Amino acid sequence: MKAHIKMTGELHAAMLKDLTRRHPFAAERVGFVFGRLGSLADGGRLLLLTRYHSIPDDQYVEDHTVGARIGSDALTWAMQAVYHGRPARESIFHIHLHRHRGETGMSGTDRREIPRLIPGFQSVGREAGHGIIILSLDHGSGWVWVPGAADPADVACISVIGAPIGVFERRRTE
Amino acid sequence: MSKDRYSRQSFLGANSEELISRCTVGVPGLGGGGSHIIQQLAHIGFQRYVLYDYDVAEESNLNRLVGADLTDALAETPKLHLAKKMIYGLQPNASIRGFACKWQEKPEPLRECQIVIGCMDSYKSREELEIACRRYLMHYIDIGMDVHGKGTPVIGGQIIQSSPGGLCMRCMGFLTNEKLAAEAARYGEAGHRPQVIWPNGVLASTAVGLAVDLVTNWTRCARTHAYLAYDGNEGTVRESLTLRNLAIKTCPHFPGNEVGDPVLVEL
Repeated sequence: MKAHIKMTGELHAAMLKDLTRRHPFAAERVGFVFGRLGSLADGGRLLLLTRYHSIPDDQYVEDHTVGARIGSDALTWAMQAVYHGRPARESIFHIHLHRHRGETGMSGTDRREIPRLIPGFQSVGREAGHGIIILSLDHGSGWVWVPGAADPADVACISVIGAPIGVFERRRTE
Repeated sequence: MSKDRYSRQSFLGANSEELISRCTVGVPGLGGGGSHIIQQLAHIGFQRYVLYDYDVAEESNLNRLVGADLTDALAETPKLHLAKKMIYGLQPNASIRGFACKWQEKPEPLRECQIVIGCMDSYKSREELEIACRRYLMHYIDIGMDVHGKGTPVIGGQIIQSSPGGLCMRCMGFLTNEKLAAEAARYGEAGHRPQVIWPNGVLASTAVGLAVDLVTNWTRCARTHAYLAYDGNEGTVRESLTLRNLAIKTCPHFPGNEVGDPVLVEL
């Protein structure tokens, strides 16, 4: 299945600005970004991102074995947001930044930890697509679990519709 | 291919060739305006296209349809075929998804575009295309020309950029309920508006310029919207006076969360 993510330049800039801020103890920041589903040709799915939620500093848990770990308050907030977004079939994506340029992907920790969030989101928001986005300073990669899917689809392209336009295409495979 | 091919446009940026080649452009309508647009996009190096036109070349098109000749009028060559021929002649590796129908009949491929350049005949069709572009997050660039005046003919036209998050064609005063109602009263017919090649060329070139800037950011303008008015009698393109005097700063017509496929909300 072909998946494509789009967002405005304004939203992309706001996320980069937030995710590059220093945290009092965590090595990196994470956030949640919401979106809506659109249909593409040949059964493909388009995820259109709408708004970003920055996780407050005090909702991180101190754990130096990982770049950042968020606590139950942040996860509860996310689950509630998915629940309240059910009428509009609102999607949620876990997002964080790898501070380098060029294409990026999931680290071993990312691959082990973040997908564990998805079944919870799916159980609350069954009719929406949920997933993971990892940005670099000038690129990005994504994985999306479409409604009912047990496994993620690689996002082939992330488009930033701003000035300038960004087209982040997936070239490497995980 | 020689490295010299794009050397004269290197001022667009060191990586402009790659940026341009990755961008997908939609062009619904491949007539007088659209045929200019795709010719220029192909010259510049755009590789990915989503094209729509159900019409064929006719003798009455030959005064303005770029790429068509007498044999095409006689053979009633589809305008879509002419567009493909033009693009492949310049970009043999281009990816073209072409549809011989109205874009509304097959809207899904259009949604993958980053830019849509519309050469529509009516206000209603412009409105529909802009709504689709907002709903599926695409820059929309609209061009159009008209000839009016009872004495000396007056050629006018517009180039408008409507981008997600920026001002829309209603905000900029181009689309109004009055214009749409007047057109509807004529049963939606825009009529056979006068069309000549050189104003279409000016409008198309300016639209392509806006598109190239959106992709490469070579002017560093970072435009969120644009409304340029063409005066074909004076031979000028200027920022619209309406836009210059506009008090509105944010678009109230397209809320940021109104995107994607519509869903029924249970009350």
